[in-house]
Amino acid sequence: MHEFASWLAGTAFSQTIASSLWMIPAIQSVHIVTFAVLIGALLIVDLRILGLASKDQSLVVVTRRYAPWVWGCIAVLAATGLLLIIGEPARELLSFSFWVKMSLLVVGMIIAAAFQIHVRNNQASWGETETVQPATKIFAVLSFFIWVGIIAMGRLIAWDADIWGSLSPQP
Amino acid sequence: MDYYSFFAAIENSAIGAFVRETLNVLPIVNVFHVLGIALVFGTIFMVDMRLIGLQSVTRPVSRVANDLLKWTWVGFALAAVTGLLMFAANATTFYVNLQFQLKMVALAFAGLNMVVFELVTARNMAIWDGERRTPPSARFAGFASITLWVLVIILGRWIGYTKGFNFSAPPAGDLDLDNLFGAISLVQTAVG
Repeated sequence: MHEFASWLAGTAFSQTIASSLWMIPAIQSVHIVTFAVLIGALLIVDLRILGLASKDQSLVVVTRRYAPWVWGCIAVLAATGLLLIIGEPARELLSFSFWVKMSLLVVGMIIAAAFQIHVRNNQASWGETETVQPATKIFAVLSFFIWVGIIAMGRLIAWDADIWGSLSPQP
Repeated sequence: MDYYSFFAAIENSAIGAFVRETLNVLPIVNVFHVLGIALVFGTIFMVDMRLIGLQSVTRPVSRVANDLLKWTWVGFALAAVTGLLMFAANATTFYVNLQFQLKMVALAFAGLNMVVFELVTARNMAIWDGERRTPPSARFAGFASITLWVLVIILGRWIGYTKGFNFSAPPAGDLDLDNLFGAISLVQTAVG
């Protein structure tokens, strides 16, 4: 990974991003605005599952309304995240927080996709029932905290070695 | 008017010194600041999009707002408390920092926009509550809100890239997870 990171850092595209004073903070700003919107969309669906909001609407309606926001945001986050990796390969790829973040991301996306497919396949029953099964509620809370963890790990990349000590790759 | 000595006193206070000098407190406070921001913008964005007429248009504005705005306030409280802690740690450098000053101005305008909406525009909301197309004043409020909050986020991010901050944590020991949990318990001790 060290070799890959130094190769990537040597590419012209990486140096264009890295040598600019404003590109990294600008891409990060887009990244932040986008994950905030993602959190909003996820929160609404999770609150509906928990019965804390939108109880007058079926879960099918709420999911259909906000799923495009979830996947749209994830696409923008992937694109801006990729630019940040290209711009600062060592900071991202050699960071323990980054890999914890990527692992949580995989789990978070699997839960989101599985949930969406489940709702789509059970539209009829979801439309009628007001409340959801306890297991779904547990998954809603779990999934929300996974996304909170993804954001936390993303921010901790900046202090990786301070936070994780020897778990973080040593400079 | 110069408040430099006032902010120097904040910086030298016990809480300022604690955040600045205790291992990993600053990163953890920063993480919660970002989570607060995500909650604020994520929720208010969906309400603003309803006002503009691009989201949840079949649902009354009041219901969309009622579902979400309480969470905006939870996020704002979290962002404000953590923001104050970070401010206290480097108060004088924040005070003279242009990006920080502009962020506070943008924040004030976001608040003003909200007050005008609540006191003027929303006064006759019952009339247009269920309408897909809200009045121009409401659409303006939604658009202004998104613009101002994005500005707050951009300026906030820029603060971190302007020099002069003591944002680095004290040198870490050999402990791994103990560092993290040690810092959390220190925060808990400090809070209560």
